[in-house]
Amino acid sequence: MTRRAVRRALAAFALALAGVPSPADDTLAVAFTPDEIAKILAHGPWPPEVKRDPSNRVSGNADAIAYGERLFFDTRLSANGLVSCARCHQPGRHWTDGQARSIGLSPGDRNAPSVVDARLNRWFGWDGANDNLWAQSIRPMLDPREMGMTEAAVARTIREVPDFACRYRRTFGRAPGTDDRRVVVDVGKALAAFQETLASGRTPFDEFRDALARGDRAAIARYPDAAKRGLRIFVGRGSCDVCHTGPRFTNGEFHDIGIAHFAAPGRVDPGRHGGIATVRSSPFNLLGRHSDDAARATATSTRHVAQEHRHFGEFRVPSLRNVAATAPYMHDGSVKTLADVVRHYSELNEERLHVHGERILKPLRLTPEERADLVAFLETLGDGAPVFRHTERGRLECE
Amino acid sequence: MVPRHARLLVASALAMSPLAATAADLPVFDAHVHYSHDAVEVLPPADAIAVLRKAGLKRALVSSSGDDGTQKLVALAPDLILPSLRPYRTRADVSTWVRDETLVPWLEERLAKSRYVAIGEFHVYGADADLPNPRRVVELAKKHRLVLHAHSDVDAIERLFRHDPRARVLWAHSGFERPDEVRAMLRRHRNLWCDLAFRSEHGSDGKVDPAWRSLFTEFPDRFMVGTDSYTPERWHYVVEHANWSRAWLADLPKDLAERIAWRNGEALFGAAPAR
Ligand code: HEC
Ligand code: HEC
Ligand SMILES: [Zn+2]
Repeated sequence: MTRRAVRRALAAFALALAGVPSPADDTLAVAFTPDEIAKILAHGPWPPEVKRDPSNRVSGNADAIAYGERLFFDTRLSANGLVSCARCHQPGRHWTDGQARSIGLSPGDRNAPSVVDARLNRWFGWDGANDNLWAQSIRPMLDPREMGMTEAAVARTIREVPDFACRYRRTFGRAPGTDDRRVVVDVGKALAAFQETLASGRTPFDEFRDALARGDRAAIARYPDAAKRGLRIFVGRGSCDVCHTGPRFTNGEFHDIGIAHFAAPGRVDPGRHGGIATVRSSPFNLLGRHSDDAARATATSTRHVAQEHRHFGEFRVPSLRNVAATAPYMHDGSVKTLADVVRHYSELNEERLHVHGERILKPLRLTPEERADLVAFLETLGDGAPVFRHTERGRLECE
Repeated sequence: MVPRHARLLVASALAMSPLAATAADLPVFDAHVHYSHDAVEVLPPADAIAVLRKAGLKRALVSSSGDDGTQKLVALAPDLILPSLRPYRTRADVSTWVRDETLVPWLEERLAKSRYVAIGEFHVYGADADLPNPRRVVELAKKHRLVLHAHSDVDAIERLFRHDPRARVLWAHSGFERPDEVRAMLRRHRNLWCDLAFRSEHGSDGKVDPAWRSLFTEFPDRFMVGTDSYTPERWHYVVEHANWSRAWLADLPKDLAERIAWRNGEALFGAAPAR
């Protein structure tokens, strides 16, 4: 049997169970149709298989991971010595900063996304201005509003701080050389190796989804009815799963849901339109010489990405895993709570959408109960935020 | 040498704030500009005109829900703005105007008060084009000698021409149809012009697609470009769009490029606006 056939069989089984009225148990308060079940099962399984990143030769390397951990929490990679990656990606805040828009050396235009599960992205940042995790990790160091370094300053710091230089040797098998660009890229790759280890865990939704696949009534019953009703809106009338697809609840692409995108009065955040221009011209993209993927097999999307007018004002569809822990929302943090997000979709201002654009989006006109159900569902996508513990290897000084 | 990362920054800055056009640049007739109340709020009329001038536009065909935005621009820059009367009082009329009995009196009142070169851009599809309101709009266009700017499918365009075979129609976004379908329509209707707003595939990356090239060559007098500023933010795309248009137009013979860039718009709407 093919995987799809197995899935279908399981779905049918689950439906049979969920649909048989049985007064003695309340698993059936919310029953799903076969179509709904198929759509729900498509949001798993979780977690996905861990794969190395072929564009990063130290992906999965234990020394690189420990090195990246060090660098991530160190403020010396910033121009004023005060800003680390962890300032905006705080472990205790699900690797975000809780701000609407992040503030590094000066205020920026965008909300800091979590770096958990970032290894699964095809495009990085709200605008997809990078196509790989190490390039995305270089960006904040060189961005004048975030950490404000030059490539020369990053490379000098790596050469001069003994622990950094020692770890560099250990990870890359040679001392940090005089080629600044090369050192910077390697720093990005160590940072990426560390971030690849940040993976979100199983959630109440995953337990429910797998129970549905197994036809496990008792486990199905444990998932709250409000969440079940919200899930039905998510895969049904709301068409949320058209963009928030698959196990990560994102298709990884860019859309316009009618959020204003002025960065400041008189200044616009071009979103994906700017991202495409940047990723194409970036010396750190997967087509460039710094990718370790000799076959350039990972570069297909970058090679074919095409600039279109609709990309102006599009932003990446965010993953919804742990979404309840990462307020505020949207590329600019302009939406405060999940209830507000749901209200946005419920009352959607169609005037902001091009007639030929996102045809899937219509104001849903949800009742207050339905809105609460949808929020209840989104809240089941959390893994309980396990506490981050520094690794032994990351803690000890390198000698 | 400029450090590499600095060049990167320059590249992204360019993407965000495109360079102003210079006198040497190809003039552009932008056939698809909207300036509705929300845009007026964030981008006052004088600033809006400045954007259009920065883009190096020779003229802009402007329509706005409520019409006030258009009138404000005309008052400031009559040389630049060609006013079109949009049959919407608010943008919510998009899907209801065809059946709204209060609409036509409002249009008549507007037409009596101000001068226009077109009615549109309006949205009408299929058999809805036979409803009384679209029919009245065609009549009004005939009476006032206005061009119809229609965001429509093939079926609705055919019906508009049935109401008035001598109507002049500017087909917004060329109906989002493929080149073959557009060609068939242009062969059938001598009074059909096409705007290319909000489409990218004909001139992606400064290269003209072969199917479109042959269409442009067959009908050099019928195409024009347009930005479609349907949100206030899109006003910040007008300059970028003009430059983008110049890039693909440069891939065509000079005469053809000039026609699509501005001569066709000038020819259709006339150097001096109607009435
Ligand atoms: C000043 C706050 C700030 C600092 C410091 C910062 N980031 Fe970020 N980070 C952000 C913001 C804001 C974004 C979204 C950027 C965008 O859309 O362009 C982001 C995006 C990311 C992403 C992309 C996530 C995704 O889902 O696409 C990664 C990975 C990342 N940062 C890693 C890092 C690393 C590594 C460092 C340290 C070298 C760092 N960040 C430093 C604010 C910060
Ligand atoms: C057309 C694609 C599309 C559809 C359909 C869609 N979304 Fe989204 N969603 C997006 C995009 C794009 C963003 C980010 C927009 C931005 O930042 O400007 C987003 C953002 C969100 C966020 C904020 C997450 C964060 O971390 O900031 C939530 C929550 C969300 N959507 C839930 C939903 C729900 C619930 C539905 C169904 C009612 C839905 N989405 C339908 C594309 C979509
Ligand atoms: Zn249109």
